[in-house]
Amino acid sequence: MTSLTTSGVGTADTMNEDRRCLTRIAGGDPDALGDLYDRYGRVVFGLLYRMLGSPEAAEEVTQDAFHSVWRRARTYHAERGSVRAWLLAIARNAAIDWRRTKGKRLEREAAIDEAVTLADEIRVEDRVITALGAERVRAAVATLPPEQREALSLAFWSGLTQTEIAARTAAPLGTVKSRLRLGMAKLRERLVGMGTA
Amino acid sequence: MRSHPTDDLAGFALGALEAEEAVTIGAHVASCPTCRAEVRVLSETAWTIAESAARDTPPNMRAAILERARSESRDARRSSPFGAIAVLFSRTVPVAVPLALAVALAVTAAGYAIAQRDAQSYAAALAGVAGGRVVALAPTGEISGVRGSLVVPESGDAYLILELPAPPAGKTWEAWVIRGQTPVAAGITDARGVTTLVLRAAPGAGDTVALTAEPSRGVDQPTGKVVLAGRL
Repeated sequence: MTSLTTSGVGTADTMNEDRRCLTRIAGGDPDALGDLYDRYGRVVFGLLYRMLGSPEAAEEVTQDAFHSVWRRARTYHAERGSVRAWLLAIARNAAIDWRRTKGKRLEREAAIDEAVTLADEIRVEDRVITALGAERVRAAVATLPPEQREALSLAFWSGLTQTEIAARTAAPLGTVKSRLRLGMAKLRERLVGMGTA
Repeated sequence: MRSHPTDDLAGFALGALEAEEAVTIGAHVASCPTCRAEVRVLSETAWTIAESAARDTPPNMRAAILERARSESRDARRSSPFGAIAVLFSRTVPVAVPLALAVALAVTAAGYAIAQRDAQSYAAALAGVAGGRVVALAPTGEISGVRGSLVVPESGDAYLILELPAPPAGKTWEAWVIRGQTPVAAGITDARGVTTLVLRAAPGAGDTVALTAEPSRGVDQPTGKVVLAGRL
């Protein structure tokens, strides 16, 4: 399956390379971990920078995330999804754990406030992996209804649970679930329509 | 069969479910090809969002990550004398006895759920299994507060639903599929609380599934005492 992507890294060949890379990591090959970092380090670091709002925190958690990959490579199962989806889940969970254990409340609040402006503020200075791809994602997100955009932002960038989003936005839990479901479906549809699939 | 939890799949793919919900939905997804396919698509969309934030990394971070991995490899090699490991599941050591007991203690999902009715999240995870066979794993008494069930779904890979304390310092939980006297590494987890672990080795009829605490990153042969075991 060719997946949604902005940088062409979702081809079947690349997914197979990712899996071979992870097999080498599971076998204890540190160079394979370096290969995986070369492929996805910029995305993971950028994601964590965005989630945590601090380069120092992002660096610490990126290191922790790749160390988790090193330790847990044996637990990856190809049938359940791509390597990068697995890596993304590890990185996001590491960020959420970091916030809960080390992050100061002010940092958390700042990250949340920034997150809700997802469609308006992706900083050019960040030198995104492909400016065009990032622009397309931003444009696709911007077309979502505001309440779906907000729910997605709070879930993805702020790491809030559905229940926390419901409390924060004063919306029923069922409504939040619907917003996430519809938001993700529309986002995919629009990214496909923009030719990023 | 339980209906598809359509409304929760986006939250699951985004990691936005409460921990107990995530286990319940995860158990369903692991046993339901339709939902698994949907989650894969959602996860790819999530990755596309993440890509939009990519940025240059600090100059020394790659070297730091690799050094940490290399350092841990060196430590693991020093602490994994294979000679002491292989005896764990051999006929000549007493630990084989709890494994035999485990076979006798294996019960059905219904019986297990009744016995453990106080564990709501654990039971919910079992309830989320969309068909397939469930076999309870018996605690060997090595540690308290641990329990688990083996799920062999109608399609897809077998997995464990586990309730675990945190692993001992420097250790990880590792699952084994034991065929005859030969243990095959089947996956690791550092999770505590209720979690799922998909087995990398498929257990067959007569195989024993066991859980031990092992050095971080897991090992190829078991070194720790068995804390859970059951036979298909």
